Amino acid sequence: MLQFDQVSKSYPGGFVALDRISFRLEKGEMAFLTGHSGAGKSTLLKLISLIERPSAGRVLINDIELSRIKRSQIPYVRRDVGIIFQNHRLLMNHTVFDNVALPLVIEGFTGKEMVKRVHAALDKVGLLDKVRCLPATLSGGEQQRVGIARAVVNKPPLLLADEPTGNLDPDLSKDTMRVFEAFNQVGVSVLVATHDLGLVARMKYRTLTLKHGRMINDGLLQYQEPV
Amino acid sequence: MSILFTGRATGAAAKKIGLLRRFIMFWLNHARQAVASLGELWRTPSASILTIAVLGVSLTLPATLHLLVKNMQQISSSFTQAAEISLYIREQTPANQVQSLVTILQADRDVAEVIFVSKQQAMTEFQQISGFGAALNYLESNPLPDLIRVLPKNTAPQAAEALLQRLSSERIVDFAKLDIDWLTRLNAIVSMLQQAVAIIALLLLSAVLLIVGNTIRLSIMNKKDEIEVMKLVGATDAFIQRPFLYTGVWFGIFGGLLAFLVVELMLWWLQGAISNVTALYQSDFTLMAMSFREFIGLLLIAVLLGLAGSYLSVRRHISAIEPTGP
Repeated sequence: MLQFDQVSKSYPGGFVALDRISFRLEKGEMAFLTGHSGAGKSTLLKLISLIERPSAGRVLINDIELSRIKRSQIPYVRRDVGIIFQNHRLLMNHTVFDNVALPLVIEGFTGKEMVKRVHAALDKVGLLDKVRCLPATLSGGEQQRVGIARAVVNKPPLLLADEPTGNLDPDLSKDTMRVFEAFNQVGVSVLVATHDLGLVARMKYRTLTLKHGRMINDGLLQYQEPV
Repeated sequence: MSILFTGRATGAAAKKIGLLRRFIMFWLNHARQAVASLGELWRTPSASILTIAVLGVSLTLPATLHLLVKNMQQISSSFTQAAEISLYIREQTPANQVQSLVTILQADRDVAEVIFVSKQQAMTEFQQISGFGAALNYLESNPLPDLIRVLPKNTAPQAAEALLQRLSSERIVDFAKLDIDWLTRLNAIVSMLQQAVAIIALLLLSAVLLIVGNTIRLSIMNKKDEIEVMKLVGATDAFIQRPFLYTGVWFGIFGGLLAFLVVELMLWWLQGAISNVTALYQSDFTLMAMSFREFIGLLLIAVLLGLAGSYLSVRRHISAIEPTGP
């Protein structure tokens, strides 16, 4: 599904954000991406969503190399990848419904089919009763879930999340992760970037750990209870 | 259309819908977006009204100038006798020869009308209007020549000039005169005005283009975050552009309508003053207002300018906005 092959990314000025990263995420697999701030998590996600291009190496989705994607094709690639943002990135002056419907409108859905899908997505994240609200009237956790509904409303095969639990309390974090698990169980590949190591360890999923742009761990994370 | 996943049907293509239905949906979508853009203008009334007012004023001026030129042309075309040719007949020409020339001229294809003024008639007329009256009776003989006044069919200066050349070569014609100078001057002034109007119109219309372009640029900048989000969830530039293009079209429509209203108001205002002036000149001049075709033309120009202005703006600025990070 998702493959990184010796991928490096350096920025002008010589800062190396990613250093020869290689890994593979299979179809229907769920994994965590961890590391301290500045370890390269965001950069890695940006390479997948084509916000940035790698300096060296290849990024492949479904065996198609992203460097071959032309600028005009980028929107179509992004429709296949659902992205959940740390700061939600909702349209604050539009209702929850409009926000979740946005990817569908972009793809040309109209009428009943659109309403059906939006309601299904909001139902999955438990926000069906807030459909007519403005995002500003929702709590942080609810806003995050609206973002999740928007990311999954057009049923993308690959789901990326960048610090989805960054601003949430532990209970809400756990709920959010449960939502991701639910999507994973219906066959969606999920990659979640987070620095919440405790949560990651409890979830028992494959974990990729970055440090200073290098991959230092790929596998289950051993969690030590704080003494 | 999915590039990465062959066979993953996405969007409206996922549903099998007929060509006709898709065609209808296409226009329905456009209509919906047009209305949405109108709503967007409605939500920021003060800014929209200001922009529309500026556009309206900018369009009013070329429209007014156009009407001015149109009415000038109407005036100048009403002076057909301006190209009247006077043929002065040689002294002592027998009356029958003069009569036969009149007959020939009446049959001439280039001549619209022939009026014969005999020397006696001329003297009587002169006595009546000159005010010399009885004094003229002291003249021993009538010094005035016979006169044939010829109205050319084609009153354009060049054509009248050509006819003048031809008629002055007639044997019994002493000399022919055509008061053409002031006509050429009037024509020159009208054509100068036309060109000046064209230049001013061009300047003002480019002002409209720039105003719309700049307004759209500002609204793109205001929605930078929104545009980034849309790009992140897979919107193409064309999709993001569309509402802004519609905004430009709306600006054009409202600006054009405002210009039309202002012009009509101005005409209504001026009507009284103009009829006073024309009454003094005993002319039956009536002020010509904008025709329906001109109104449609004005709207069309306004809409095209609005569209072009916003297109120039969105093309530059929307592709420049790229999301910087998740």
